[in-house]
Amino acid sequence: MATPRPKPSGLLQYLGSPFVTLVLLTALAFSLMILVPKFNAYALPGNQLGYEPTQPIAFSHRLHAGELQVQCLYCHSGAERSRHAGIPAANVCMNCHRFVSAPLGAIRAEDELAKKEKREPQRVVSPEIEKIYDALALNEKMQPDPARQTTPIRWVKVHNLPDFVYFDHRPHVNAGVACQKCHGPVETMERVRQVEDLSMGWCVNCHRGVDRSGLDGNGNFTSAPAPAAQGPVPVTHRVYASIDCATCHY
Amino acid sequence: MSKRRTKRYWKSLKERDASPDVLKARADEFPERGPRQFRRRDFLKATGFTLGVAFATGCSRAPVQRAIPLLSQPEEVVPGRSLFYASTCAGCSAGCGLLAKVRDGRPIKLEGNPQHPVSHGGLCATGQASILGLYDSQRLRHPLKEGKKSSWAEVDREIQAELANIRSDRGAVRFLSGTITSPTTRAAIEEFLKGFPDARHVVYDPLSNSALLDAHEQTHGLRVLPRFHFDKAEVIVSLDADFLGTWISPVEYTADYRAGRDLEAKRISYHVQFEPRMTVTGSKADRRFVVAPGEMGLLLTHLALRIARKAAAPLTPGAPEAVSVDSAFLDELADRLWHARGRSLIVCGANDLQQQFLSNYLNHLLGNYGPTLDLKQPSLQAQGSDKELGGLLAELQYGKVKALFIHGVNPAFDFSFAQRVDETAVLARYVLPEQHYLESWNDAEPVSGLVSVSQPTIHPLGDARSLVETIAAWNGKPKPAYDLLREHWEAEVFPRQKKESNFDAFWDRAVHDGFAEVEPLPIKSKQFNAQAIRPILKAQRPEPGAFALALYPTVAMLDGRNAYNPWLHELPDPITKVTWDNYASISPAAAQRLGVADGDVVRLESGDQMLDLPAFIQPGQHDQVVAVALGYGSKLSARFAKVGPQWLDAIVSVGDKGVVGLNAAPLLRWSEGVLQYHGAQVKVSRTGRQRELASTQTHNTLTVPRKLTPPGSGPRPVVQETTLAAYLKDPHAGVEDHEEKEDLWPTDHPYTGPRWGMVIDQNACTGCSSCVVACQVENNIPVVGRDEIRRNREMHWLRIDRYYSEAESGQIEVAYEPLMCQQCENAPCETVCPVLATVHSEDGLNQQVYNRCIGTRYCANNCPYKARRFNWFNYAHDDQLQNLVLNPDVAVRSRGVMEKCTFCVQRIQEAKIEAKRRGEKVPDGEVETACQQSCPAQAIYFGDLNDPNSQVSKMMANPRRYRVLEELNVRPAVGYLTIVRNRPPEGREKSKEEHHG
Repeated sequence: MATPRPKPSGLLQYLGSPFVTLVLLTALAFSLMILVPKFNAYALPGNQLGYEPTQPIAFSHRLHAGELQVQCLYCHSGAERSRHAGIPAANVCMNCHRFVSAPLGAIRAEDELAKKEKREPQRVVSPEIEKIYDALALNEKMQPDPARQTTPIRWVKVHNLPDFVYFDHRPHVNAGVACQKCHGPVETMERVRQVEDLSMGWCVNCHRGVDRSGLDGNGNFTSAPAPAAQGPVPVTHRVYASIDCATCHY
Repeated sequence: MSKRRTKRYWKSLKERDASPDVLKARADEFPERGPRQFRRRDFLKATGFTLGVAFATGCSRAPVQRAIPLLSQPEEVVPGRSLFYASTCAGCSAGCGLLAKVRDGRPIKLEGNPQHPVSHGGLCATGQASILGLYDSQRLRHPLKEGKKSSWAEVDREIQAELANIRSDRGAVRFLSGTITSPTTRAAIEEFLKGFPDARHVVYDPLSNSALLDAHEQTHGLRVLPRFHFDKAEVIVSLDADFLGTWISPVEYTADYRAGRDLEAKRISYHVQFEPRMTVTGSKADRRFVVAPGEMGLLLTHLALRIARKAAAPLTPGAPEAVSVDSAFLDELADRLWHARGRSLIVCGANDLQQQFLSNYLNHLLGNYGPTLDLKQPSLQAQGSDKELGGLLAELQYGKVKALFIHGVNPAFDFSFAQRVDETAVLARYVLPEQHYLESWNDAEPVSGLVSVSQPTIHPLGDARSLVETIAAWNGKPKPAYDLLREHWEAEVFPRQKKESNFDAFWDRAVHDGFAEVEPLPIKSKQFNAQAIRPILKAQRPEPGAFALALYPTVAMLDGRNAYNPWLHELPDPITKVTWDNYASISPAAAQRLGVADGDVVRLESGDQMLDLPAFIQPGQHDQVVAVALGYGSKLSARFAKVGPQWLDAIVSVGDKGVVGLNAAPLLRWSEGVLQYHGAQVKVSRTGRQRELASTQTHNTLTVPRKLTPPGSGPRPVVQETTLAAYLKDPHAGVEDHEEKEDLWPTDHPYTGPRWGMVIDQNACTGCSSCVVACQVENNIPVVGRDEIRRNREMHWLRIDRYYSEAESGQIEVAYEPLMCQQCENAPCETVCPVLATVHSEDGLNQQVYNRCIGTRYCANNCPYKARRFNWFNYAHDDQLQNLVLNPDVAVRSRGVMEKCTFCVQRIQEAKIEAKRRGEKVPDGEVETACQQSCPAQAIYFGDLNDPNSQVSKMMANPRRYRVLEELNVRPAVGYLTIVRNRPPEGREKSKEEHHG
């Protein structure tokens, strides 16, 4: 039944000859040479574990979240309202740093020194906090300096997901998942480090567990706020972690 | 069971007349072109290489990504959340209300404003696509002087100096623009021109309705465009007015027309269309007659004589020639019109004074002025005057005009202030960039008494300036547009209402809503004056062998203003389904006479003008008419020389002249002081050359396996329709073939939560294709270019299948069937995927997981609806500015991945998460898909099928509901409602009636 394959014409007739193989192999070698440097655009899950980049400002989560007990959501307020937890705008920093320009110790030391030298204490600005003022182009009196340009702060993103993953902070935060569950003990970290591999298996295992035994395995299937009326918990209040693909991939 | 006769539906003439071979081939999604050249060994080699690459990539860190927060974040801005700003569309002068979806400081999608009294929540394809104009990297960024970069300070100084000279020399100053509906801008121009002894503002519309306004000047003493109320008309007679497609304000008219044809409310108007070529409006008509343009006036006379006789009104009878439309039908139509006095409407699309007189006369005799044609609150959407333009052209010829300002129009193309350098701009000494409407303050008064607001939604890109600001600068009072607008509103608009006493509150309300309703401008029309009306007794017929020309705008290109927009070039025309070209459309009989087939280049000659265009054979067109689309061949489309993937075998998207299509405007002619789009006599001849058109009309054809044909009849048609008479007797009419089959896997999908579903009312759908563009914008669908479309590789997730069929009268009928992924319960695609990249979700979605897909294309092969699209290439996303329009909530797919309609799952997710945050179920109507949101006819319903009270559940239970290819029992989540034509029963319905009777 099979009709004979028409004899290839043009360049195709040379297919299969050793010469062509040689040409192809050479081309392969050359293309690999060009391609290899670009390969780092692809990464396998887990590669980023322990990623701890230096930030433009040496902001310490240990100090702010640990020692000073600033709530996570005070700065990352987007976590409740948006997909992104967000990095605070500089004006959020200024809520405190309008008044706090240096560690207390440094200010006290300057006060004492001034007393000793019998002069007015000078304003002490820590070099890291100075960077916020520079970004906002503020002068000594904390007023915007029109002569200077404001420059946005280019933080380095620590927790990155591939472009085809749509993670949303809202349902997690609103269901009562603690920030540390995914981000680790941030309140102890001087510089933020990625402590979980953020792979799909890691996500899905947690989602499955939540459905079986409630959040944190404590049998708590309801998210706050609990309904006032007695009776079965309505569906909308149940903690339910979907494992549908389209929950994250679309 | 008696043998039933089923109506046949076909997508192209070839399919209608085809041999079994062609019918077999149409079932293939990608017809074969030449021998296969990719062999098994080559495949293995490629696989080996890919594996090698994969191993080599395994061990490295991802590139550093930055997160740059705002320095000072306004309270309402939350990164990742969208804000909606009410504004007004400036895609044409219809002034539809829109909501701009702004994400992180940039608009990414335009939605219709449901509260807007003009558009009622719809937005057309042009409006949807206009957002791309904002991110056009070829938009003018700075003023040009003699083609070179200049600055505003420099051009302002020089222009002001020259204007001072002209003023002292008493030279003539002319300001030429299209219809400007903005009251603030109009007032500014008026004030500016007042400073000169000889100055005039000339308004012209490239798609002119001048005669319609001129006719009212003579019959009613007022040069106005009445506001048409298609919702209040029970009988609509349209003489070549494409009011659902391109005529004046199509979104407004579509919404009204739809309201007047609501089967659920038991209201259905009767619509008769007379036209020379198939239009969107004609395709929806209950009765459609093919009438040559030269015969239209004669037809109006015949109708007018009949109505005048009934009204006992004098109309010099004379002896009109016979007309091709059946006179018994005209008698019946006249009876119907007379019966529906004050509830009927006659619209005439011809730019011809005599015809418009007759149309006014008919509406007057029928008492339609007032109820269905509003003169007290007229429409301001078209104000152009061809007479004025003619006067200006004459003045220019004599060199009388010293300064000519051109705003927003492109007269050098149709026979500046500009956003792009077009044909007119290259001729101008100064070219001043105007801001896009999404980056500036503006207003519009599309209908007298309805003032709509435009507000900026992004920080301006480039150094452009809005027209009011420029004029204010020349008037010596430079001010930001916001201040100018507020000043004008406080002085002129605010006093026109009494509800609000505080201007700030009034202004804030208007900016929030996007519009304000105020008292209409006072006008007084005179008694109807029948003086000018002369019956037209003779038809103008082309010589035997010659053709009458019909120049028309398409839904996508309009007059050519959208020629820069790749989305609109790629949008298949609602009727012909051709993309990326214009063509000479001729009837099948004419094609046979000339001996041409689709794609044969023909030469059109009219006077000294000549145009070589590929032929397209169009059913339902007059045999002596050749129709050509305007708006093509613009310089703005030269940029598409390299659109689409550039690979070895690629063919450029542009024509020989380096632009898309050819400009047909040179074939326009002046007659009695108005522009004539119709009727010019042309000679058509073959050239022997070929240009294959990229038409999608036969792509993705649905076929029914023979073994599933119901016994004793032909195959069950994929479109189901009925007539009003049959529907009133039995609402199930037309869907008799409907049968619920047993589910083979009843427990597979329990759907315990919501189950998403959709219902599409085919009776409401006009085929306008707004949904196609809306889907493209929302879901980051790439543009593939003409060559790829030729290869059946268009990427639109939502397509509108257009079927022809023949009524008993021989009239060609059109049925539109918007088709996207049907989200089947027993989805054939899911069972064949070897890597589980397409699986069912618990809420009824057929999920496509891009990152899991390896591109076997088995799913597409197994999809009976042919709704899946494959990424054959990494489609271009090189234009950084244009990438700003990408929806950040939808992944940009890469090569080798299958994709398809997701029911806008990103919107579902957003609604679910937000509902959960509020602690409630997703309310009905909270999730609106992109296609549904923008539909001017509100033909699409979407929601939870498990909620018995949701709108979509109610529509699913509608007796008109059927499913496409129901016999396959794949249980799709999309339902369709039958088309109901307002007519006596036909075909098998009639035979059934006789049987019962």
